[in-house]
Amino acid sequence: MSWRHVYRWDLDKTYLKTDFESVRRLVGIAFERPEEKRNVPGSAALLRELGREREGLDPSRVCIVSGSPRQMRGTLEKKLALDGVRFHEFDLKPQWENLRRGRFRAVREQVGYKLPLLLRSRLKTEDVRGVPETLFGDDAEVDAFIYSLYADVLAGRVNTDRLVTVLKAVGAYDDAIGKSVAAAEELEPDDAVERIFIMLDRRTPPSFFGPFGPRVVPIFNYFQAALVLFSGGHLSAEGVVLVTRSFLEAEGHTADDLANLFQDVVRRGHLPATAMQDLGMAIQDQNGAQAEAEVIWKSVQRFSDLGPARRFMPPAPPPDGDYEALLAHLRSRHP
Amino acid sequence: METTTVTPGRPTTIALDCMGSDHGPAEAVDAAARLSIERPDFHLILIGDSHVIGALLDAREYEPARLSVRHTDQWVAMDESPRDALNSKPSASVLIACQLVSEGRADAVVTAGNTGAAILAAARKLGRIPGVRRAALAAVTPTEQTHGPNEDPFALLLDVGATLNATGRDLVTFAIMGAAYARAISNNPRPSVALLSNGTEPHKGPPEVVQAHAILAGLHDVNFAGNVEGLDIPRGSVDVVVTNGFMGNVVLKMLEGIGEVISELAKDAYASKFLWRFGLTMLSGGLQQIQQALDWEQYGGAPILGFTQPIIKAHGRSKSKAIANACKVAVKAARSDMTRVIERAVSHVPSAEEDGVQGL
Repeated sequence: MSWRHVYRWDLDKTYLKTDFESVRRLVGIAFERPEEKRNVPGSAALLRELGREREGLDPSRVCIVSGSPRQMRGTLEKKLALDGVRFHEFDLKPQWENLRRGRFRAVREQVGYKLPLLLRSRLKTEDVRGVPETLFGDDAEVDAFIYSLYADVLAGRVNTDRLVTVLKAVGAYDDAIGKSVAAAEELEPDDAVERIFIMLDRRTPPSFFGPFGPRVVPIFNYFQAALVLFSGGHLSAEGVVLVTRSFLEAEGHTADDLANLFQDVVRRGHLPATAMQDLGMAIQDQNGAQAEAEVIWKSVQRFSDLGPARRFMPPAPPPDGDYEALLAHLRSRHP
Repeated sequence: METTTVTPGRPTTIALDCMGSDHGPAEAVDAAARLSIERPDFHLILIGDSHVIGALLDAREYEPARLSVRHTDQWVAMDESPRDALNSKPSASVLIACQLVSEGRADAVVTAGNTGAAILAAARKLGRIPGVRRAALAAVTPTEQTHGPNEDPFALLLDVGATLNATGRDLVTFAIMGAAYARAISNNPRPSVALLSNGTEPHKGPPEVVQAHAILAGLHDVNFAGNVEGLDIPRGSVDVVVTNGFMGNVVLKMLEGIGEVISELAKDAYASKFLWRFGLTMLSGGLQQIQQALDWEQYGGAPILGFTQPIIKAHGRSKSKAIANACKVAVKAARSDMTRVIERAVSHVPSAEEDGVQGL
């Protein structure tokens, strides 16, 4: 079976609006029923659309890697089913096993958990060579770091020695390092990762992610992600409308708000301004005057009223990953 | 010129001129970023060099749905002649800010740039309220007595620099505009208004003050309290004090200077002797209150009155806090329909022919 694209998602704070800042909330999450779990506005609609079958095209592959404990699998699978989201892989963290074996560092540490899973997922999936990937994470932990490292290992830009050094520096256990190195050595170099979306759940200033290169796209919401994905051909205009509907239902924005969100993502260089005209035209061509399409159309007009903001800069090649420096940068915010 | 009100369904929007202040765009962008998170009830359009503004914004926490950037690479520096600068820079940031308001895309202007340029830009793009010949810059000054139902610890002083030589009729207009502003912004239903002079008697002061006194005394819509002297300003004997721009600016700067000197003296005293340090520590609560009352940054800029839309002039050396407060005042001015209130009040003033006082 061949694939058109691989989408990899984190769950907490990326797909689900999870508040685990306090012990009380953390306990509450464990006992939440599937229908009580709240989505980050637009996340379910976007994931549904990305996974949707498109006529004449290969299917896309949806893989979920979450730091939630394995004991939550049933609840989370039911939640995804309620949202109409289909997936091909779903990995959860063996937290109980970590505790039982006294691997307390692994309870919090994410690089040593996620990196081998990502690499092995790529390795074990048939017909995935050359298939591009888009990854979704958030700023609550170190997703930008993990995903960037994965992308550069996959592309052959990080050699084994360097990988070992980085994994030791983050405190990964030896078995996680071994699994990562084994997978990295077995994989053929494949510069597959196109974009890494980072949901700014904690409002981290976007420039914080500058050192990760233009491949990392910090977003304030999934409306912005939908615009970038529309521009990249991942999402239809109808898909943008559906994501916008879900976003508007949750947060009730005006056309002015959307125009500002348009401009923000253009200004930061992640989207050409012409994408707005393309979206406006595509929405006008659609039959049926959906309220969301009208709001988007108005915001496209308001966007052009705002005048030039900054010229779109196409993504430059990723920086030569100095992951020790990136780690130091990351620790300035996530000690 | 037709005035526009806040469009239903569109959030109140402030056109913030980010350029030309003493501290550059960093303070304005910082204020905007904080407001975008703290105040979901309004939007800001940041006007200036989008490369600079963008870089500053991206290094801060902000809410993008409530902010947009309007690029221009032209602005008026503090030391430029306002007229020459605006003539040679048709895309100056302050002109664009006023243009956005005149086109109904924003509801009020906030600028910390060149005062003369702000007034001239407003005159060109917004236009004056019918019956207003000259604009007035109004500033709040801390007072001993409180004012209005909100018990505000400050009075309004105008003009503080827009019109250096005001005629008697200009002073009358300033009085009416100041009272209307106090009604709209401070919810003071009948603010008391006085002319600044060198004596309380009606015949004291230069001819324009004497003549303005004669007209105001005959206006029933104005709660005219006669003349006040300089010492009445910090006392807060009246809610609105009217003078020309030259005198007002001197008074305002002197009050600011006194506040800063007191603060510096207290710091010196604190460092000098243990006994003074002990005494100041004991008085710290009260001193903090005084310092807060004298802190111009918390008063949120000076409205330039007389134009068809609100324009707030923040101090040239405003930092983030002062600019944020200026934006809040601008929002209040836009929502309270302040310019319409002034327009209605000014329309009730008899013309020079009607009141028989000529040549002011």
